Amino acid sequence: MLKDIRVSCSPHISERFSTRSVMIDVVIGLAPAMIAATYYFRIHAVVLMATCVLSCVATEWLCNAICKRAHSLGDFSAVVTGVLLALSLPPQLPLWAAIVGGAFSIAIGKMVFGGLGANIFNPAMVGRTFLSVSFGVLMTSWTVPATLDPAMPAVAQENALDMRTQATPLAWSKMAIKNELGADIYGEEQFKETFTGEIGGCLGETCGIALLLGGLYLLIRRTISFHIPLAVLASAFIFASVAFFVDSYAYVAPFFHLTSGGLLLCAFFIATDPVTAPLTRRGMWLFGIGVGTITMLIRIVGEYPEGIMFAILLMNAVTPLIDRLFKRVPIGGKPGG
Amino acid sequence: MCARGRYSFPGGVHPPEKKDLTSDRRIQPGPTITEVAVMLSQHLGTVCQPLVRKAQAVQVGQKIGDCEAFVSAPVHSPINGKVKDIALRSHPVLGRRQAVIIEALPYHPTKRSYFAMEDDFDEARYSVERICEAVREAGLVGMGGAGFPTRVKIEPNPRLPKQSLIINGCECEPYITCDYRIMLEWTRQIVAGVQLARKASGCARALIAIEDNKPEAIELMGAAVKKYADGDNIEVLPLKTKYPQGGERQLIKAVLNRNVPTGGIPPMIGVVVLNVATAAAIAEAVIGNLPLTHRVVTVTGEAIARPGNYYVPIGTSIEDLLEFCEGVTERCAKVVLGGPMMGIAISDLKTPVTKTTNAVTFLTKEQIGRAKFARRQTLCIRCGRCLEACPENLNPTKIAHAVKHNLLDVAERYYMSACIECGCCSYVCPANIELTGYIKTGKIYVARQRKRMSQ
Repeated sequence: MLKDIRVSCSPHISERFSTRSVMIDVVIGLAPAMIAATYYFRIHAVVLMATCVLSCVATEWLCNAICKRAHSLGDFSAVVTGVLLALSLPPQLPLWAAIVGGAFSIAIGKMVFGGLGANIFNPAMVGRTFLSVSFGVLMTSWTVPATLDPAMPAVAQENALDMRTQATPLAWSKMAIKNELGADIYGEEQFKETFTGEIGGCLGETCGIALLLGGLYLLIRRTISFHIPLAVLASAFIFASVAFFVDSYAYVAPFFHLTSGGLLLCAFFIATDPVTAPLTRRGMWLFGIGVGTITMLIRIVGEYPEGIMFAILLMNAVTPLIDRLFKRVPIGGKPGG
Repeated sequence: MCARGRYSFPGGVHPPEKKDLTSDRRIQPGPTITEVAVMLSQHLGTVCQPLVRKAQAVQVGQKIGDCEAFVSAPVHSPINGKVKDIALRSHPVLGRRQAVIIEALPYHPTKRSYFAMEDDFDEARYSVERICEAVREAGLVGMGGAGFPTRVKIEPNPRLPKQSLIINGCECEPYITCDYRIMLEWTRQIVAGVQLARKASGCARALIAIEDNKPEAIELMGAAVKKYADGDNIEVLPLKTKYPQGGERQLIKAVLNRNVPTGGIPPMIGVVVLNVATAAAIAEAVIGNLPLTHRVVTVTGEAIARPGNYYVPIGTSIEDLLEFCEGVTERCAKVVLGGPMMGIAISDLKTPVTKTTNAVTFLTKEQIGRAKFARRQTLCIRCGRCLEACPENLNPTKIAHAVKHNLLDVAERYYMSACIECGCCSYVCPANIELTGYIKTGKIYVARQRKRMSQ
C-alpha cells in the first residue's frame, strides 16, 4: 500500500517561496524604473538593458560550465544583476563596455566567490565601479532624454545656464562646490525634473517616482524590510541638511540629493541586496547609515560627484564585522547569566 | 462571543492550518486490535523495566513496566491478553527500543470508552499526596509531545514554589485536532483536572490558553469554567493564532509576558504548563483511578482516505490505524508522527502509538512541496527570514552553517543549545535549507562530545 514513503527531518512543509521568487520580485520592483528609462531614453535603454542582462546570463552559464558546476541560472539572480547594472549606466554607453561590465559583474563579482550567496560585494556595483574606474570618460558622458531632444545630444558641462542641456544634477552640485557658483540655480522646476526623470543621468536613476513605486512594491511584498532604505535616505538627508544649513550658497538643498544620482535606486534595490547586507535589524540600521553617510561625504567633500557605489562596496566589505558586532541574544537571556 | 486574542510572542510563522480535515469529526473508538506493543520508554527520564514475563496473562490497566527513579512513569497494559514477547520495536524518536508485546485474548476485544464524570466532584476530597500518587501510578506524562512525567511537574517543590498553572490548549501545529476535540467533548474532565492540578501544585491561579482559531473551544471552556469552577481563579485566555504558540516557552511569554531563562525550565519562574489532554488524564487518573492506557490520536493528512480523531489503546501500530482509516491514496509521500512542523517522519509502519503521539499525518507530495520533496537545497542568500521567524531570537543560518562546517564551538557561541527545534527557520527558508535539521544534528554532536569527554 505504501511503496515510496520518505523520511527526513522536520518540518515537512515549507512556505511556497524560493530564491527565484525573491529575485523575480526584485525584477518586478525594477519594472517601473525600466519603463521610465525606456520612455526617456528610447531604444538606447532597451538595447543597453538587453545587452547587460544577456552578458550577465551568458557569463554565469559560462562560469558554471567551466567549473563543471550545476547550473544556477534558474534563480534569476543574473537577470537582476544585469538589470541593476544597466540602470546604473549612462544611456549611450558603447555596447562593448556594457558587455565587459556585465561579464565582470558576474565573473569577478559573484562567481569567483562561489556563486549567489557567497559573494562579498554586490555584483552590479562591482561591475559599475570597474567600468567607471577603467573608462572614466565613457561613464561620465551623459545624454539628454529623448523627450527633450529626440537627437539625444551629449550634455556639455560648459553651457552652464542652459537648463535644457546641462550636466547631471550631481555634476552641477559638485561644480557649485568647487567653483563657488551659487547652488541656488536649482529651482523648483529642477527638483521636479529629478523626480520625474526628465533630466540627464544614468538610465534608471533619473526617475524618482518609478524607483519609489518599485521600492514600495518590494516593501509591501516584504521582499525587503524598511530598515536599510530608511537608514540610507535618512542619514543622507541629515548629512545634506547640515551642509545646507552651514553654507546654503555652496551646497544644494537636501531633497535634491535624495532624488538625484543613484541614491533612490541604491537605497531600495542595491543596498537591500540580502547577500551583501547584514542579517540583524541593528546591523541593517548601521549598514544603511554607513551607506548614506559615505555617499554624502563623497558627494560633498570628495572628488567624485557621485559616490554611492563606493559607499555600498565599502559597507559590503564591513558587513561580516557588523554581523559579528550585533550578535543576537536568546530571548531568555544568555545561558547561565 | 469571544474576543480575538491579544496575546502572543515575538517571531513565529503562520503555516496553513488544515484543521478542517478533522475538526468536525467526533472522537471515535479506534480499531479492534489483536496485538499492541507498549514501549517501555514513553517519557523523558529513566527507562522502565518490564514487570511481566513472556506468556504471562495480563489484565487491562495492569502495570507492566516501572522503575524506581524519580523522573519516570510506569506503563500499563491497555488490553486483556497474553504477553507474546518482550522485544525491540521502532520508537518514533529513540530508534529501536524495548517494548512489551501483548496479544489480545480471542473473543475478548477490549474497547474502552472515555471515563464519564459524576456531577458531585469536589476537589476537597482529594489530598495533595493522593493526587500526586495517583498521577504517578497512572503513568501520566505530558501528552503534548515532550512526555515529561506529570507528577514531577505538579508535585510541590519547596525550592521552586509555583504561582501560575497554564493549561495549553493552543494546538498550534497544523492538521492536529485531538486537543480541540478533547476540549469540546471532555470539557468537564479538563476543568476537574485543572482544579486537581492547581491544588497539587499550589498555584494561585490557572489560565487555560486557547488560540483564537478555535472560538468554539474558547466558548465551551469558558462556560464550563463558569459552571463548575466559579471563583476558583481559573481563566480562559484567547491567544493570537501563531506557530509555535504551544511551545512551553512561547506560551509563557504570550500569557504572562515573562521569559523562561535560556536553558532553564518553567518552574524557575514559578510556572507549570500542562497540556489539555494531560489535564483530562489527571481527572481520569485521580477520580476514576484509571491508568493512562488510551489516548486520542488525530489521523489526518490529504493522503488518508478517512481522517478522524480516534481514541486508541497505546501500543496500537500505525499499520492498524492506517487499515482502520481505509488506507492511503496513491499520492502518500510521507508518514509523520505528529504534525508537519515538528513531527517525525517514520518508515516502519509497525511503530506503535505512544503516550505522546498526538497525530499521524499522511502527507502528499504536493503538501511537502516539490523542492522539499526533492531535498533540493541552494546556497543561503542571507535574506534574514529565519532570524525574523525564530521565536527564540537566535541566528539559525549562522548556527546551521557552523554545524555544516563542523564548527561546533561557533555554533555554541551563537547559542545553539537555546534552539527549541520548532522548525520555523526551515519553513520560511527560500533556499530550502534544512536549518532545523542541521541544528538538531549539531546538538547530537555536542552531546556525543560531552559524553566522550566525561568518560
